[in-house]
Amino acid sequence: MSHDRRRALARHDKDGADRDSGGDSGPDRVEERFLRPFAVAAGDPDGSGPGPGPETLDLLTLVVAARTPGRSEWLRPEREAILRHALRARTVVELAAEVNLPVGQVRAIAGRMIEDGSLQRCGPSRPLARKDILHAVLVGLRSL
Amino acid sequence: MASADSEPAPGDTEAIPQAVKIIIAGGFGAGKTTMVASVSEITPLSTEEVMTEASYGIDDLGGVEEKTTTTVALDFGRITVNSDVVLYLFGTPGQDRFWFMWDELAEGALGAVVLADTRRLETCFHAVDFFERREVPFVVAVNRFDGADGYDAEEVRRALDVDAAVPVILADARDRASCRDVLVALVTHVIRGRSPALSG
Repeated sequence: MSHDRRRALARHDKDGADRDSGGDSGPDRVEERFLRPFAVAAGDPDGSGPGPGPETLDLLTLVVAARTPGRSEWLRPEREAILRHALRARTVVELAAEVNLPVGQVRAIAGRMIEDGSLQRCGPSRPLARKDILHAVLVGLRSL
Repeated sequence: MASADSEPAPGDTEAIPQAVKIIIAGGFGAGKTTMVASVSEITPLSTEEVMTEASYGIDDLGGVEEKTTTTVALDFGRITVNSDVVLYLFGTPGQDRFWFMWDELAEGALGAVVLADTRRLETCFHAVDFFERREVPFVVAVNRFDGADGYDAEEVRRALDVDAAVPVILADARDRASCRDVLVALVTHVIRGRSPALSG
């Protein structure tokens, strides 16, 4: 990397010096500064408390409803909305956009719902090797 | 625990595609959202991440730390490649300080497009630096804004000091075909980078 760019970075970002010397530790360190607050307690008024952390869901983790919304969603509109929108497999980030909640919150609620069996994590029907994915994407993009 | 009245979801019988992503990065106002909108098959969706920023660099034992809440918008589009693969395009949050979001977006990404605005080239240094450090393959797309000076791709390459193997392409974020060409160049670059015999 050029010295010019380094200088510009250092000017631009007060963490620049740290990132330059610390390699990969920079972003990790920055991460400590941010917390995801959940005013809706992950949709759990009956609160199971902190407990074991909910499943970690990536933005593109696919989830699908394991059942239709029922009595247990009474007064839990977030869960009901998630179940309704996940009748077909959805990525977590799409679900968040569709139910209009912050993605971190949807992740937390969906994690709990996977634990209690109302949502299922699902993988692709036909898992492909990365090489095949890249070629499929290339062909698909060319035909746009 | 499924209750007695639960029904199987329709999703059970449908083919579920693999979800993959490409990151569209660049400085504030470089055209990221425009580019996502130009190629997405859906109106780009938006979600947000709400963050509490705890006070930093101050002894917090007193319990008097100040917290401010920040909302980070996350826009994304989608391209159905075929029945097996769906491609998501994520614009990076405009503010540079949200590195944690960048990390998450970059994780598992096929690659990245760095949109460069020649009027403010320095605003994409962060992105170039980030993807180099993370070894995420990327291309630089020079967004040709109306009235911008006509820099050529090589001038931009020199100014950004990117590796000779990294494609630098002139593009128009508003134009679907142009954005498609950028994405094709990226995926070609990624494929080439993965086969050592073809690289160099």
